[in-house]
Amino acid sequence: MARLILIGRLAAALAAIGCLAAAPADSPVNVPEPEGLYAGPPKGYTPRTLAGAAVIDAEKLAALMAGPDKPVLIDVAAPDRKPSNFPAGRLWLPVHPSIPGSVWMPEAGAEPLAPGRERLFYARVAELTGGDPAKPVVVFCHVECWGSWNAAKRLVRKGYTGVRWFPEGVEGWQETHETMALREDPAWKAAAEPQAGR
Amino acid sequence: MTLKTAHTAVLALILATSALAGPALAAGASDTEQERTARWQEIAKSIFGDRAIETTDSLVKIDAPARALDAALVPITLTMPEPSRIKAVSLVIDDNPAPYAAKFEFGPAADPAELKLRVRVNNYTDMHAVVETQDGKLYEAKQFVKASGGCSAPMGMSDEEAMKGMGDMRVKFAETAAGKPVEATLMIRHPNFSGMQMNQVTRDYTPARYIDKLTVSAGDKTVFTMTGDISISSNPVINFAFKPDGKPLRVAASDNAGGSWQHSFTPPSPTN
Repeated sequence: MARLILIGRLAAALAAIGCLAAAPADSPVNVPEPEGLYAGPPKGYTPRTLAGAAVIDAEKLAALMAGPDKPVLIDVAAPDRKPSNFPAGRLWLPVHPSIPGSVWMPEAGAEPLAPGRERLFYARVAELTGGDPAKPVVVFCHVECWGSWNAAKRLVRKGYTGVRWFPEGVEGWQETHETMALREDPAWKAAAEPQAGR
Repeated sequence: MTLKTAHTAVLALILATSALAGPALAAGASDTEQERTARWQEIAKSIFGDRAIETTDSLVKIDAPARALDAALVPITLTMPEPSRIKAVSLVIDDNPAPYAAKFEFGPAADPAELKLRVRVNNYTDMHAVVETQDGKLYEAKQFVKASGGCSAPMGMSDEEAMKGMGDMRVKFAETAAGKPVEATLMIRHPNFSGMQMNQVTRDYTPARYIDKLTVSAGDKTVFTMTGDISISSNPVINFAFKPDGKPLRVAASDNAGGSWQHSFTPPSPTN
């Protein structure tokens, strides 16, 4: 992960000195926005933009959180997956550090997403924003994770105008800010179909 | 009341009162720090039960990079300046989903002054080393490490490729003087799959396959027995020291999928 960030920084530096044209199509500096939602591998370089949403860094997020119109924070990171053959007697105690005050709806950025899950995602966001389509909503997961891009895209398409995508995710946040261990959103968890290994 | 239960009781009291009075009482320690402390208490209790653990800055020390370059390969050094007092050492990576990374139980041929290994780190986390002394007491030391994503990081090759030569071993011996402990580096080829690594193309998870037992002996005497877990990096490398008795060093490793391997290595003759 850190290595990818380093490569990303190096590539960004190269881009800054005018090498952008030489960058390959899948390089960290030149990932195009997909037409619709992204259905490829969930981990990987993401675009630098999301049409219809603002892209923010940790500093802007902190300022937004300190401001008068508190944003709704939505974390769509996947939970740690318990290995199916993990021995019964060993200690398994997953923890999910995140941005304090966030609502955690794991894998709401998956594509495809079961229709029932998608409906619930929209219903939960409608509740959290109090039905205000202009309410600031910040969507994130991890760095280099397509889930937050997709989830933010879903909200843009749904008509939300205050969507912020925070691509640095938990990793970018914890560089300079405190985290808090989150539990999965109860409504999101209650409606989940039981899956192997959870 | 043991020290441990006293700790727990005090913590419970702090948590209870702060829940009543809000964050005003949290002065001094941030919420994040309080959360970390509470988590360590929970982990320690599940591993060591109600046994008291004293903090130490002399019996064991953890050295780790403050910021790891590769979260799947974080080098750890455990220093134990009074090796003759040490019976066992446990390494706990608090915020890993499987926090209990490894336990080393030392035998009569060990010189546990220094032990090195490489681990996976999933989140920014405290690490704890807990030593058990010969008189049965527990002591802990702590170190914070910045790294994340190590447990689920893919190996960057196919599973078949990663399993090639599984169980092959090498030992590198440092030069030593007669009568002194010998420093050795044991390298084992084994993917140590964490079970949390997703194949990005098929979206399948590679089942966990890791070395769960490793015994190193010098002749007939045990150097150490390691109980391992999914937090140990692929292709484990362990540095340790042992007291040679002229016989080969024997290494026996087994994994959770029934694989087992044995090799022996002849240390060089000491230079005089």
